[in-house]
Formats: sequence, C-alpha cells, structure tokens
Amino acid sequence: MSVQLEISEHIAVITFASSEAGNLIGFETAYSLSDAATEVRQRDDVWAAVLNARGDDFCLGTSPEVLDAVVDGGSAPDALRVGQTLADIEKPVVCAIQGVALDQGLEVALACDLRIADGDATFAMTQALSGSMPWDGGTQRLPRLIGRSRAMDMLLTGRRVAAGEAMELGLVNEVVERGKASERAMELASLIAGHGPVALRYLKEAVLDGVDGTLEQGLRLEADLSFLLQSTEDRSEGISSFLERRSPTYRGR
Amino acid sequence: MMPDEPTVLFHKEGAVGRLVLNRPGVINAFDVQMRDDLYAALEAVRDDPDIRAALISGAGDRGFCAGADLTEFGTAPSQVIARQVRWERDLWGLFGSIRKPLVAALHGYVIGSGVEIACLCDMRVASQDTIFRMPETALGMVPAAGGSQTLPRTIGQGPAMSMLLANEALDAQDALRLGLVHRVVERDRLEEASLELAERLSEIPPELSAGIKRAVADGLDMSLARGLELEYRLAGAVAARSVSN
Repeated sequence: MSVQLEISEHIAVITFASSEAGNLIGFETAYSLSDAATEVRQRDDVWAAVLNARGDDFCLGTSPEVLDAVVDGGSAPDALRVGQTLADIEKPVVCAIQGVALDQGLEVALACDLRIADGDATFAMTQALSGSMPWDGGTQRLPRLIGRSRAMDMLLTGRRVAAGEAMELGLVNEVVERGKASERAMELASLIAGHGPVALRYLKEAVLDGVDGTLEQGLRLEADLSFLLQSTEDRSEGISSFLERRSPTYRGR
Repeated sequence: MMPDEPTVLFHKEGAVGRLVLNRPGVINAFDVQMRDDLYAALEAVRDDPDIRAALISGAGDRGFCAGADLTEFGTAPSQVIARQVRWERDLWGLFGSIRKPLVAALHGYVIGSGVEIACLCDMRVASQDTIFRMPETALGMVPAAGGSQTLPRTIGQGPAMSMLLANEALDAQDALRLGLVHRVVERDRLEEASLELAERLSEIPPELSAGIKRAVADGLDMSLARGLELEYRLAGAVAARSVSN
C-alpha cells in the first residue's frame, strides 16, 4: 500500500511512499492519495491533517506512465490531479517536506495550507526545462503564494530553491533541523486541532475564496461566515474559556 | 479612566488628524462604544478638508489594541440583528472609503482587531517591542474586521495562514520582513517617527494621494487591463487639476 491514512485525536496523517524511486506519483499513488483526501474531507472527526512522505525525498514529480496519460489529449481522470484533491479538503492541511520537492511534488505541497521543510530540503518547478508546463496547480498557486515575479523566476528557469530561500520567498512557513519536518508538522497539527474546528474550516474558506474575489466580496464572505459561526456551541465555548481563563474544549458544532 | 472619557481621542495637529484608541486599562480592547467613537472620528477625517492624513495610535504603555472586548460578547444580539448592524455602521468599509493616507503607530500588544485596524491603514510604523497575533480560531471564531482578507493581501497567503490557523506570533522584526510594518523604531521614538511620516504624507496634494490610493486599492480588485485603464484615467484627472490650479 503506497498511501497510509491514520486518524487519531482529530488529526489525520496521510503518509505516502511510492514504489517508484523518489516517490514519483504513478496511478496507484495518485488514486490512493485521492481516496485518502476524500476520506479526510468527509470525516467529521478530523479537524486537521498532515501530509508527509517516506524516503529521502518528498516527491520528485509525476511517474512517466501518468505523464503519458496527461499529455494524451488532456483527458486524464481528475484523480490524477492530486494537488487538486488535497486542496478540496476544507480543513487545515500541514505538509512536511524532506529532501526534494519537484514538479508535481511541489504542486502537491502548494495545495496544502502550511509547509514545514527540513533544513536541507530543495524546491523546483522544472517542467519548462523539458518542454512541458505544470498541470496540477503550479502556475496558479505559486504566483498567489510567493508573488508573480518570483514565481516567474522559478517557473521559467526551473532553478532549485533551497530551504532558506524558500522561507524568504514565503514558499514554506517554517524550516527545521534535517529529519524533523514531520515531527514539527504533527506538533503544528495538534496545536491547530486544539482550535475551533468550524472556525478553522470557515477561516480557510474565507482566505482562499476571499483572495480570488474583490476585497469587498471577501469582506462580505468573512462577515457572513463570522455571523454563521455565532450560532455554534464552539464559539460560546471559546469565549467562556477565555473569560474563565481555562483551555477550551471544542466539539465541532 | 473617567466614566465619560471617549474611547477614541481625536484632535487635529496641523493637517494631520490624530486618533488615539483610549481604553488603556484594558489595552484598548475594541468594544461597541469604541466602534461608534472610531466611526465618528473617521467621518471627521473623511469630511474635514483641512485634514490631509491621519495617524492612529493606542493610549497607554501596554499596547496599541488587545483585540475585541470579549466581555461584551455575551450580550450580543441575534445573528440577524448583528448582521444588520454590521452593515448599517460599516466601520471597516469606512476605513476603505477614506482617500487620505492613513498611518498606524503600533506598540506592545497588537492582537486580533488591533492587527485588522492596522491592516486597514496604508502605512504602519511599529516600536521594537510590538507583538502581533491573530487568536480568533483558537477562540472558536474567525476574524470579523477584515483580517481574513486584508492580512493575506498585506503579508501574503503563506505567512497569513501561519498567523490565522496556528495563532503564530510575530515580533516587530518578523513584521518588518513580511511587510506588515514599514518601519521599526525604538519605543521612545514611535510618536515622533509616526507623526513625521503622517506629516510627510499630509503634504502630498490631496487629489494625488487620493488618486494613488484608488489606483492601488481598486486596481488590485480588477484585471490588469482594467487596472491600467483606471490608472491612466486617474493620472489624467490629477494632471488636469494641477494645470488648472
């Protein structure tokens, strides 16, 4: 099994390890990742998720077998767009990156909300070097995340970005000691899972949908979600716990 | 604090309108009274032709603003009424409608709505000791003064997610690196440095600062082609005015 899904204490951990070197995403890995993402999306008891990979490198991109299918007329099944299926998870997803995150591997990481990198991790979008272009969100998510000019640099030159520079670019949220990315991602996911789960989902929706529209539309969305949230038990619990100086206990309703 | 003391102090200093959040006993926590007082002061900034820029700061040693006053939240009306009131007295929209440069002077705790008020200003100066934090989701809430929209637009989506999802704190140097503030100074220089900046911005011809603010704010909401058209039109109008003057 190339993809494992473990759920405990409101945290889902998706771990993938492809049978191909460098965790290349082939059909089996893509379908299994999509299934895992769907389960994470549908399970009410999951409040936050971690995506990580086994092996020396996070992911070196797409397996040639899949690339052939994608290039052939662009009629590849949606499940091959792993980044997209992960982005459809309404809950916060933290990604741990070790070694190299290349091409679709980087696109998959970009589809998550927070990225934690090992100190020696590197990042690149090299599709242009082989005469193709990203097809799992790279041309859309990268400019939105790090700005147009820096994204153009990465997309056109295909150059490798080391962890320190990735941090400066805003490509990753944290850089940790080599080998510690997964551990830190778990820590962050536990911290996040201690926050109000409905608030987290609405926050993610407000930010991601909000940046795509006008500021005014975004402000409307934020306001409406915040009023809707006023009807939840969790919001009352959050305020009472603050006033009573204790930790909140959220139930996701 | 005197019982009747306003929660926002307002006065003019030359061409600069000065607004001071004034509930220092509770680190200027934002409550309904402050919303109304801030609304009135911002209307004065908008309508008074002698005011050409505004500076917003917080009273007291401990911080600019500690966020929404949660002690008031138990008394909130129904969601239907809350929503109605939000748009009847659209304080955050009023910020956006002011075409004069707005500067925030930040110190100490800048939490929740404190960050959001700062993000609604055009430029931000902070003292070395400033701490920024967005604790809403930790409290089962989402930001409601525009933070989920203005923060990603100000510091980028990645760092904004760290603050909004994981309640990550930023210090003044982090904030400078991310573009959340434009300048960091020692605490005893904050007043001078922020006022100096506001005065400098107040010397820009009003039609010019208004044109730049419109071109940037409205332009970011449009396709590039439409934004370029808007810029060209606004620049023409500004040039025509300076010729006729």
